[in-house]
Amino acid sequence: MDGEVLSLTSYNKTLAEAFNKCRKISCFVKMKTTLRLILVLVALASSWVAWGQASFTVDAPALTALGQPFRVEFSVDAEPERDSFKAPAFTGFEVLAGPSVSTGHSIQFINGKQSSSYNCTYTYVLLPSESGTFTIASASIKVDGKSYTTKPLAIEVIDEGEAESSAATERNPRQQTPESRIAKDDIVLKLLVSETDVYKGESIRAWLMLYTRVNIDSIESLDMPSFDGFWSQELSFDNTPSREQLGGRIYEAYKIKELLLSPQQSGKIVIPATIMSVLAQVVVEDKRHFDPIFGGRQVYHVSRELRTSPITINVKDFPQGAPASFNGAVGSFTMSSRMPQAELESNTADQIEVTIAGNGNLKFITAPTLILPESFEKYDTKVVDNVKLTASGTSGSITYTYPFVARSAGEFRIEPMLFSYFDPTTGEYHTLTTEPYTVKVTDDGTAAAVPMVGGYAGYGGAMRQLDRDIRFIHTGKLPSSAASMMILTPIYWLVVVVAVALFVVVYVALRKRIRDNRNIVARRMKRADKVAVQRLRMAQRSMEEGNRHAFYEEMLRAMWGYISDKFNIPVSNLTKETIREVLYRRGVSADVAEQFCEIISRSEEAQYAPSAEGDMSEVYAFAAEVISKIENVVKR
Amino acid sequence: MREVRNILAVVVALFVVVGSAHAADKRTTAEVCWKEGIAAYEDGDYARAVDNFERVIELGEVSADIYYNLAGAYFKLGQEYTPGVSRHFAGGELGRAVLNYHRALKLNPAMEDARYNLDIAVDHTNDTEAVPDSFIATMWIALRNTMTSNAWTVVSLVALVLTFMLVLFYLLSERMVLRKVGFFTAMACMVVVIVATALALSSRSAVVEDERAVVVCNDTTPVHASPDSASKIIRRPSQGVTVSMLRSHGDWSEVLFLDGEKGWIRSSYIEMI
Repeated sequence: MDGEVLSLTSYNKTLAEAFNKCRKISCFVKMKTTLRLILVLVALASSWVAWGQASFTVDAPALTALGQPFRVEFSVDAEPERDSFKAPAFTGFEVLAGPSVSTGHSIQFINGKQSSSYNCTYTYVLLPSESGTFTIASASIKVDGKSYTTKPLAIEVIDEGEAESSAATERNPRQQTPESRIAKDDIVLKLLVSETDVYKGESIRAWLMLYTRVNIDSIESLDMPSFDGFWSQELSFDNTPSREQLGGRIYEAYKIKELLLSPQQSGKIVIPATIMSVLAQVVVEDKRHFDPIFGGRQVYHVSRELRTSPITINVKDFPQGAPASFNGAVGSFTMSSRMPQAELESNTADQIEVTIAGNGNLKFITAPTLILPESFEKYDTKVVDNVKLTASGTSGSITYTYPFVARSAGEFRIEPMLFSYFDPTTGEYHTLTTEPYTVKVTDDGTAAAVPMVGGYAGYGGAMRQLDRDIRFIHTGKLPSSAASMMILTPIYWLVVVVAVALFVVVYVALRKRIRDNRNIVARRMKRADKVAVQRLRMAQRSMEEGNRHAFYEEMLRAMWGYISDKFNIPVSNLTKETIREVLYRRGVSADVAEQFCEIISRSEEAQYAPSAEGDMSEVYAFAAEVISKIENVVKR
Repeated sequence: MREVRNILAVVVALFVVVGSAHAADKRTTAEVCWKEGIAAYEDGDYARAVDNFERVIELGEVSADIYYNLAGAYFKLGQEYTPGVSRHFAGGELGRAVLNYHRALKLNPAMEDARYNLDIAVDHTNDTEAVPDSFIATMWIALRNTMTSNAWTVVSLVALVLTFMLVLFYLLSERMVLRKVGFFTAMACMVVVIVATALALSSRSAVVEDERAVVVCNDTTPVHASPDSASKIIRRPSQGVTVSMLRSHGDWSEVLFLDGEKGWIRSSYIEMI
């Protein structure tokens, strides 16, 4: 809301300025003779000021209507020689008055600096006598012995007789309201565009003009359209009003606003109507309320709403065949690049600068892509723009700085960068290329310590290994198609079933042997004491025969054999230690095991050593007792 | 009646002969394409390599190696660029490379080269890290991936037969030591049978129940909150990101990302592994 109010006042200001400028010349102070003396004295005192070149100009409206008197002013900014002014012949015009001469002199002190100006103006009032284009020929004047001439000035005289007469008939003095005093076409608002058929991204100029034949007091409101589909920017403009011919009539033309539009989409884009309401001034000569002092003039304010007609802009898309590096730049550009330092130590920073300059949609171009060797770390591109808005688009330059750090030593080539743009004037694409650079990176001694760095900055920034590439493809013969999954297929089940069936068959076939085999073991264990008893009996026989050697041999065999059979341990694996261990494990007390081992050792000793007769029977009885003791424990 | 049957038999036989001849013909064409593709890859003409390898797959010669080579060709093709235009993988090649490495590994989980290259390809995507499994699960998968499902099946069957033989050996040996050896080795073989069968089944279900898909679109693809392009965009995965497909609705698919987020993506932007 605030912004709107602010902008509205600014429009009013511009308008007011425009009006003031219009009246400036006539407002120029006419000097009085009383002042003149003082001024001349001052002028003499400051006569050291070099005049340099005087200027002699002519000023007249370029456009005027038949039957409308106008003023032609010849002005010189230095004191001319007396009677040296020679007016041209005003062919095609009737001189109503003139020449009237006015002179002015002003002195200014600004910050202690003195400047003075002198002005002398010769004014004629002319009346066009016929329509057409006429030229006011050069006038001449002499200043300090030098002769100056004005440039010839063309004046177009148009006959707006019909329009004027129709307006005049409307102006019936009797039943006139202030509103009816302003004809519909007395105030016209127009939005003009420089082009209606453009390429996407190309800039066009649009300006809002107010044409009026009546005095405009102020602008009440201005409703600009939103310019959908365009990127719009306001331009600063010269707000000097001009006289323009519109439909055979002369208007005062004021520029209200000037914009630079850049279409962002292709197709037909319609700029909707701009609506502006103005307050016009109407002066009515009122005879009834004649005021003796101020005259019978009454000033009315009439509000008018003005509306432009919508404008269609045809936006063409870019033609086919855009280069890969084209990113929507439209205009004409040049590109230059710079690398300040071509030789650097590893792990130090360097940069490449690229400047794109020219005229076009500079605000929309994207930085050309820089491709660096993999061991280089790239940082964010810095963008500095120096872009100005002009009526023909944005122009200036943009500088991109690409900083990077070289991580490993070596000589690297930096590929040239490409930048493509579309030139709408020729309808062609152009591609600009920078120079390729060679960077020499010397080792700073730490290279080995940092073989892996966070490269691939564009891919997420996680720590990744550099210089990794995919492995080579598999060559050789074309492998046969991959086999389907075997598990749970009928073949799989078949194999399982066959394996189980074979097992069952073999089991059944060997059933008897397996049972027997199991029995052999069991039997052998049961038989152990019987065998021992048999062996002992054989020993007894030897004892009765008095054969000591045979007795002890049988005793040993019985003892070892008993343990071997009983506990299913091969005789070859048996020692006294294993016997003790086995007996202990089977719950036989250590005493009994010790007695068993004692019998063995005694038998071994006695086998070759002569001993008492009674010993044999004693050993025999003892062995029988120990075996029965073991049997008692183990059987349970 | 018999004549009709005879004619039928002849026709069927003809079809079989023509069919097998046709199959043989296809195989020869595929071999030519395979050789052509490898030659193109060696020459650096990756676009031609891709075309030829794709053709081999079209001809039905599907193997881990062909997927591996195709993925490599895609990756190399995507890495090519015109200087100044660093649009790597502009045609979705990275997504295709990831997809085909996954397919190769699906056929042969033990292909170490494919696993290595997949790792590199995934490095180029913005894929999020998967939620790590438990140590046991990781070990189990690592063990499973050392062989194909079929290899595990063979191991389990051989171990089964061996178990039976050892049981018989145990039953038939007379000597205690041999019986003991037979008994314990039979037990060990039994364990091998169970583990290998479990691994084969696990490997099979990993393939059969694989609902994974890879984003193959050439640019950052919008993933919406609901199957509607007007809905909020919740994520923009790059090509090559692996997702799990949950369900589809019209031409939209609901996908699950590795970090647990769900969203809807246009079905044409993803491809099932």
